[in-house]
Amino acid sequence: MKPNYLLSNQFKKIGWIIFVPSMILGLLFVIFQFQPKFLDIKVFAILDSSNAPWDSWVNFCTVTHTNAIDEIIGILLIISSFFIAFSKEKNEDEFISKIRLESLLWATYVNYAILIVSILFVYGGSFFWVLVFNIFTILLFFIIRFNWVIRKSKKIAKNEK
Amino acid sequence: MKNNIRIERAIKNITQEELSKLVQVSRQTINAIESGKYVPSTLLSLKISKIFEKTVNDIFQLEESDWKES
Repeated sequence: MKPNYLLSNQFKKIGWIIFVPSMILGLLFVIFQFQPKFLDIKVFAILDSSNAPWDSWVNFCTVTHTNAIDEIIGILLIISSFFIAFSKEKNEDEFISKIRLESLLWATYVNYAILIVSILFVYGGSFFWVLVFNIFTILLFFIIRFNWVIRKSKKIAKNEK
Repeated sequence: MKNNIRIERAIKNITQEELSKLVQVSRQTINAIESGKYVPSTLLSLKISKIFEKTVNDIFQLEESDWKES
């Protein structure tokens, strides 16, 4: 059998267990600027423009101060979304692989369509937040579309003898 | 592409569920093939034919529309 580059089925559960709390923390961070004091740390940065004296100023390979909550949430959300999106179904077969690929294409179209609309109609600081959400939306759209189609086909199959 | 899996199942008296287990795919897959929503791979077609002890051509047939570009 050729490899299908998917994780084994149990990663799906692990993914959800990490995803839900990360999402809650993420929303707390975005809505209430939730930043616990103990996560104020010094970090190594390849590029840093946080203390820039003017706009195009960038420091290379330096040490900077940050609150690590957004880094932690970002990485956890990406990894857990990957686990949910790309672990095998219990009965992964060729038909499910086809739905998987179609859903990935669909999610890419939708994601970039929304991005184009945002480029045209969102300006200033709001556009920064569009880009932040865009980091996660392609996987999120995939997960929603894929599971919806799988559920629908399961339902149709169940209604028949 | 047409197929007569439903008829062959009736003859053999097995359900979609049972057939799916015999050819090691999910139940949705058999359902989607029967209703013409999914064209199975050569491998799966061969397995299905084998279960019914027929050739692939007995189970699956080309339709006029299969020759038109989609």
